[in-house]
Amino acid sequence: MSTAFDIMLLLFLIATALAVARAKDLLAAALIFSSYSLVMCLLWQHRGAPDVAMTEAAVGAGITTVLFLVTIGRTTRREK
Amino acid sequence: MKKALVAALLVLTAIPLLIGVASMPPHGDPDAPMHTHVSARYIEQGEEEAGAANIVTAVILNYRGLDTAGEVTVIFTALAAALAVLIGFPAPPKDNDGVPAAPAPLSPVVSFVVRLLAPFIVLFSVYVILNGHVTPGGGFQGGAILGGLFIALTIVLGEGRTRVLLPRRGAPWMQGAALLAFVAVGILGTALTGYFLGYPAESQHLVTELMMLVIEVGIGLGGAAIFATIFLQMEEE
Repeated sequence: MSTAFDIMLLLFLIATALAVARAKDLLAAALIFSSYSLVMCLLWQHRGAPDVAMTEAAVGAGITTVLFLVTIGRTTRREK
Repeated sequence: MKKALVAALLVLTAIPLLIGVASMPPHGDPDAPMHTHVSARYIEQGEEEAGAANIVTAVILNYRGLDTAGEVTVIFTALAAALAVLIGFPAPPKDNDGVPAAPAPLSPVVSFVVRLLAPFIVLFSVYVILNGHVTPGGGFQGGAILGGLFIALTIVLGEGRTRVLLPRRGAPWMQGAALLAFVAVGILGTALTGYFLGYPAESQHLVTELMMLVIEVGIGLGGAAIFATIFLQMEEE
């Protein structure tokens, strides 16, 4: 059960990572990257590292995404 | 041709990496090198020696305190580098492909939820910072939560209302709080034990805990201030 959950999360992680690399819309890429961080956070928690999970949720899913969004707002949304 | 070359290079890089992963000891193996070196001592004597029930905190602030001080320096340097790039470069003119020139009106749901949760998030971050020596967490985690909340509040309430939390005169002290706390505790440790960042003997647990608390609060405040500063500087027109 626990391993199946891990494998599911890891597969989702790979899927989101590929989606970020392929996305031409940078806004979409930033949001998918946020969900990548959220899955990573679940994985940390599941592997017994709650402190890293906390940092991942706050920094990875939260602050980094906001900084990406601000950057996109000040530059351009499309990859050239 | 170029694509084939890239693919070949990727495969060539992946093979040694996968060989490296395959030769790692299995997860949870008690005979793995990382479990036979110093970690046994950390687990058995960490609480008495380092004065922190949370072994992670004991390692970060006590056994490997100097490493953490270096880490904090790296974060502070990163802030300095980010500001060096951001300050003095005016916002480039926006080319309106898809991005609206005027900011979209804020959703009332987002605004309400952030206002409602803000006091609880502050409470949680303070708990994470102060309770770091017992439960998972500590200065870095609590500081990140506090910084995230500051950014959310700035988006919802506007910069004018949150700027008071990071006054221009006090900001440099807050951004360097982690480093300053480490230096202060380090010098105090020198005075008490003769070693930089040395903690007093096991009989004086209260002093050790207070010294760790100062570092945790410093890291928390400093981390939050650094996140807030980078966000405010990026937002500034």
